Amino acid sequence: MAGAFKALIVTVRQVALDHVELIVEHERLRDATPGQFAHILTPGTLRRPVSFSRIDGGLGRAGLLVQVVGPGTAWIAARQVGETLDMLAPLGRGFAPPDPDRPWALVGGGVGIPPLFSAWERWGWRHRAPAHVILGARKAALVLMDADFRQQAIEPLVTTEDGSRGIMGTVVDPLRQWLSRNPDGQVMACGPNGMLARVSALTEGIAGPVQLALEQRMGCGIGACLACVVPSVPVGPDGPGYRRVCTEGPVFQREELAWSWI
Amino acid sequence: MDLTVHLPRNLILKNPIIAASGTFGFGPEYARFVDIDRLGGVSVKGISPEPWRGNPPPRVWETPSGLLNSIGLQNPGLSAFLAEDAPFLRTLDTVVIANIIGHTVEEYAAVAQALDREPAIDAFEVNISCPNIKAGGITFGHDPDAAYQVMRRVRQATDKPVMVKVSPNMAEPWTVAEAVVEAGADMISAINTVIGMAIDLKRRQPALGGVTGGLSGPAIKPIALRIVYEIARRVRVPVIGMGGIQSPEDVLEFLLAGAEAVMVGTITFQWPDRMEGIIEALPNVLARYGFQSLKEAVGAAQRPALADEEGLAP
Repeated sequence: MAGAFKALIVTVRQVALDHVELIVEHERLRDATPGQFAHILTPGTLRRPVSFSRIDGGLGRAGLLVQVVGPGTAWIAARQVGETLDMLAPLGRGFAPPDPDRPWALVGGGVGIPPLFSAWERWGWRHRAPAHVILGARKAALVLMDADFRQQAIEPLVTTEDGSRGIMGTVVDPLRQWLSRNPDGQVMACGPNGMLARVSALTEGIAGPVQLALEQRMGCGIGACLACVVPSVPVGPDGPGYRRVCTEGPVFQREELAWSWI
Repeated sequence: MDLTVHLPRNLILKNPIIAASGTFGFGPEYARFVDIDRLGGVSVKGISPEPWRGNPPPRVWETPSGLLNSIGLQNPGLSAFLAEDAPFLRTLDTVVIANIIGHTVEEYAAVAQALDREPAIDAFEVNISCPNIKAGGITFGHDPDAAYQVMRRVRQATDKPVMVKVSPNMAEPWTVAEAVVEAGADMISAINTVIGMAIDLKRRQPALGGVTGGLSGPAIKPIALRIVYEIARRVRVPVIGMGGIQSPEDVLEFLLAGAEAVMVGTITFQWPDRMEGIIEALPNVLARYGFQSLKEAVGAAQRPALADEEGLAP
C-alpha cells in the first residue's frame, strides 16, 4: 500500500519574513510533478497541504516552502535538518507541461510563487518561445524566490503593493501588458483567490491554455472527504458544481472554475 | 483471538472496525492507501436520489482535539453511485454499508429500494442526523415520530440489515433510538457529529462557509461514549459506536460501554492505515484487559439494567 512515509529533512532555510523552505528527501518523491503537493502530518487533527517549490526527481528531493499562518504551519517551519516529515505525496493534478513554442507567462503572488518556480525549473530550459515571470508580494520583505529564478536564467518582474521593491502595484498590470503583446500566449498562475480571479478575467480568449493552481483548506487530501472544494462549472440555478482541489486540482484550467461564486 | 462480529440478518463483520461514513469517500479513493479488505466494513458517503451540491467552502476547520466540518452531504446521486462506484464496491471482500440521505421520507425509501437490488451493498445506515443540511435529514433525527416514519418506509423497501445513525444534538438521543427500533431498525449507530462553530478572526467571519458545522475527533469521545452507553442499556439491538476513536484502547471503551462494533473516521485523515493498526493490536489489548473474547467485552462496563436501578430508587 502506498501509505504515508517519512521524508528526511536535508536543508532548512529562512527565505523571507515568516517563510521557511525545507528540502526533503524520499524515493517516493521521484515522480513528483510541479503543481502537486505533499500532505504533511502536524500535531493537530489535520495534515497541511504544501505544494512543491522545487523537485529533483533523480535525487528524490523536493522543496516545501511554508508560510507560517497558524500552529500547523509554525510546527512544520520549526523542523530541523535530520528530522523527518510524515507525508502523503505526491498528491493532486499538477501543471500540464507548457507548449515550448508558445509564449509563456508565469504569474505568482505570495506563497503561490513556489509551484511556479518548480514549473520553471522543470520546463524552462527547453522553452523556445519567450517566457516572462511576474512575482507579486505585499512588500519587499515578502518577495519569494526571485533569486532562484535568476539562478535559473530568467529575470523576474517583481511587484509590491507598497512599492518597496520593483513596480508598485500588483501582478495584474504587468500581465495585462504582456497579454496585449502575446495574445497567442499561455499562462500559469498561483496566488490568492482575488489575484487568480483577475488573472482569469484578463486571460479570457487568449489562444493558449491558462492553468491556475488553487489553495484551499483540506481534509483527507486524497479525494474522499469533499472538504477542499472550489466552485466550478456547470453552474445550476441553485449554485455551482464543486470540484476537489486535492484530486481534481490543485491545478485547474480557467474554464473549469466558476469565479463569480469563489 | 476471533474478532468476528455477528449482527442481525446474518450480517457478519470479520472484525469490529468499520470506516465511518463521510470520511472514506465512496470506496475507491482510499484503495491506494488502505487494504480495505482487512476492515470489518465500510460505510460509504451519504447517497441521495439526486445529486446534492453541498455547502460553500471553507468546509473544514481544525479545533483543539477536533475537526469541524460543513460538507453538506455533497454526493453525485444514486445513478452516478451505481454507475461509477458500485462496480468497485462489488470487488471488495468486506461488508459495504450504504449511508442513505433524503429530504423526504420517500427519498430515503427510494435509495433503499434501489440499493436493495445492488449486490455491492450489504446493509444500510439511515442518516437522519447530519447537522449540515437545512431541509430533511436532521428534521427527522430530532423527532422520534418522524424518525419512526423514515425507518418504517425504509423497512418496507428492503430486507437487508438497517442501522439508523443517531444525533447527539438533542437532550435525549435514546428516544429516537427507541422509536426507530420500534419501526424495525436492526441496529443503531451513534453518534453523528456534534454541532459547533468557529470564528475566523482574520476574516471576521464564521470559519466555515456553512456557518455552523459538525465536530468530530477525540474532542467528542466522552459525549459519544455516554450516548452509546445510554442507548445500549435501553434498546435490545446492537449499537455501533463512534466518536473520536484513535486507538485500540478507545475501541475497548466503546465496547465496554455497550457497542458491538465501532466506526472510525477523523483519525483516517491523519493516518490512513490506523484502522489496520487497530485491528492488528485489538486481540492483544483485549487480552491485556482480561477479556477472552470480543463478545465478553461488550457491555462489560454497563451498570445493572434500568429496570433494576429504578427498582432500587427510593
